[in-house]
Amino acid sequence: MRRLFMRLAPCALALALGASMVQADSSSSTQHAKRYLATRNITVDRVTGELRKPTDQEIADLVQSLETLTATPSNSAQPVARTGGGYMLSLQGASAGVMLARPNADGTMETKCVFSFEEGAEFLGLVADTSEQ
Amino acid sequence: MKSSKTTGAVALLASTLAFLGSSLTWAGGAQIIVVNSDGPGEGFNDPTQAAPVGGNSGTTRGQQRLIAFQHAANLWGAQLDSNVPIFVLASFDTLGANILGSAGATAVFSDFPGLAPGFFYPGVEFPATWYGSALADKRAGVDLNPGFADVRARFSSDFDFYLGLDTNHGARVDLVTVVLHELGHGLNFQTFVSSSTGANLAGQTDTYARRLVDATTGLTWDQMTNAQRQASAVRFGRLVWNGANVSADVPAVLSFGSPSVDVLSPLAIAGIYQFGTAAFGRTLGNPNVSGAVVAAQDAVEAGGGTSADGCSAFSNAAAVAGKIVLIERGFCGFAVKSRNATNAGAIAAVIYNQAANVNAAPPGMADDGVNGAFVTIPVVSLRRADGLAIIGQFAGGGVTASIGVDPNVRAGADAAGRARLYAPFPVVGGSSVSHYDTVANRNLLMEPAISGDLTHNLTAPFDLTKELLTDVGWFADSDLDGVANSLDCNPNSDLGATVVVGGNDSGVPNTLFGTGCSIADLIGKIAGPATNHGDFVSGVAKLTNELKASGVISGSQKGAIQSAAARANIP
Repeated sequence: MRRLFMRLAPCALALALGASMVQADSSSSTQHAKRYLATRNITVDRVTGELRKPTDQEIADLVQSLETLTATPSNSAQPVARTGGGYMLSLQGASAGVMLARPNADGTMETKCVFSFEEGAEFLGLVADTSEQ
Repeated sequence: MKSSKTTGAVALLASTLAFLGSSLTWAGGAQIIVVNSDGPGEGFNDPTQAAPVGGNSGTTRGQQRLIAFQHAANLWGAQLDSNVPIFVLASFDTLGANILGSAGATAVFSDFPGLAPGFFYPGVEFPATWYGSALADKRAGVDLNPGFADVRARFSSDFDFYLGLDTNHGARVDLVTVVLHELGHGLNFQTFVSSSTGANLAGQTDTYARRLVDATTGLTWDQMTNAQRQASAVRFGRLVWNGANVSADVPAVLSFGSPSVDVLSPLAIAGIYQFGTAAFGRTLGNPNVSGAVVAAQDAVEAGGGTSADGCSAFSNAAAVAGKIVLIERGFCGFAVKSRNATNAGAIAAVIYNQAANVNAAPPGMADDGVNGAFVTIPVVSLRRADGLAIIGQFAGGGVTASIGVDPNVRAGADAAGRARLYAPFPVVGGSSVSHYDTVANRNLLMEPAISGDLTHNLTAPFDLTKELLTDVGWFADSDLDGVANSLDCNPNSDLGATVVVGGNDSGVPNTLFGTGCSIADLIGKIAGPATNHGDFVSGVAKLTNELKASGVISGSQKGAIQSAAARANIP
């Protein structure tokens, strides 16, 4: 097996890995296209070093990252029969654990690994802005 | 979030070629290859100068990230056995300072057979069951999705990780530990059941869910309906791991003394409850307290107070004395309520969430710097639904409860010694069951939060992560012949291409049998007890006659092996 593996064409392997990466990243659809507000001081200000709430832009960036990383397979995802037997279902980068951190006033960090956007938003103190509805 | 376009195939090609050129063989274990998908000048390729730290010899930030990442991958590789390399497509991206990193399987497989020719890889253990990519490859014996990564990992280039390899991270977050944790998920320390609906992925259960058992119903998750799985996922303390390897090592890892809030009666609401702790008052279990539960009554304060919030001196102090008092959260601080409970003579205080926090988890309760010093009783918090459930039983004969530490139950296990999974009542929907419970003591790598006292060890007596992966299908297979060590007649087989006896190559193919022994192994078993050369040659002759009779070897091959044995200096 090891010798067989080593005979794989390096270029094909690398390009296929590249394809995997593109495929994974393409799944990052925006599922929470709404505005969020911060309720906790989770940002350490780069200038003052003090804890503060994230700015609107920082919240938007955080929400975008979080929704990408906590994406789940779509309901339409269908297994594909394999020629060698059995089935395969591409997760396209979804179903991953995401480790989050929020700083405390004493300089320590709290961490939590989440699997859903909602769980992550709750940990970070992000709440949907309903004022526009 | 970095665009995929910035991480081109060029970097992948370079890193993969580097791997192919430097890692030609390995023995036992599993090889985990970190494929650097960062572009020039970023992430793993960040050229910012960095001083070596904690055994990490890299001289740039990028080098140190890659060394730490690969170090974590190697720690995993040393614990798992697979003849198929595990590719982790990894990058450091601008995820923001609140996201440390992420990893998960890129694909899942089901109903695949053992595919490696000439070997005995078992394929699936259960039909119609999903396995993560790396685990599926291990059990198939071949790469089921050749050329594609098994695990996708993204980490934050905005976060200031400790990049040493020695766990001397102080108050900083240790990158190696976080990578170990997230790779654990990528290696199948996770269920693929939907967190929001309880639905199986594409209608099939998974190898993790098959070991999740609800101690209330006795059902495993593959036996449940969607609604039952949803309910089970928030059944605090009742969702446990049904796996032989974890259970066997629980006594070596988890210590006795499980903190608990236990309603003893009436039967309708009896059981252990999810609770929060206070930064003030008496430590739980010092000593344990038990008794009747009564509700606090006090004046309704102007400005929004209630008669149940405990913010004023209790008007039913006589009824509270010597009892566990139940107080509603809100209007004043936790320490104020607890001080009033102490003054009324309560033996413990239980504060349940108010309506404004109807879906919130039981809070951790901070001191206000004034009143906490006057609290001399244990104080815990409950979610609102649990508080109301207790109140609902007052009219029917009352409620008794126990608050403290159960000395007969291990912290992080149930009374039967099964490891508990994290199943808190969620504030919002979330798949929390892919972690061990936070009550575990000692702290475990796969709890949802990273504890500062974690080592980089993955197995007993330090941790239970490897054991869980063994339960889901990562069986030990030291010689990588596909036969589990526990079933293998020689876990360290001679798997050479031909039968070599005492240095004499017979040229005969070294057939591997389903028992896990090869022809060379069988000859080795004859050589061991042989007291003289004649006995050895005679034994080999008998073996080769049997192999020929069964059609494994030909007559000429029999002769070649016997000739090699005769020339061997054995014993």
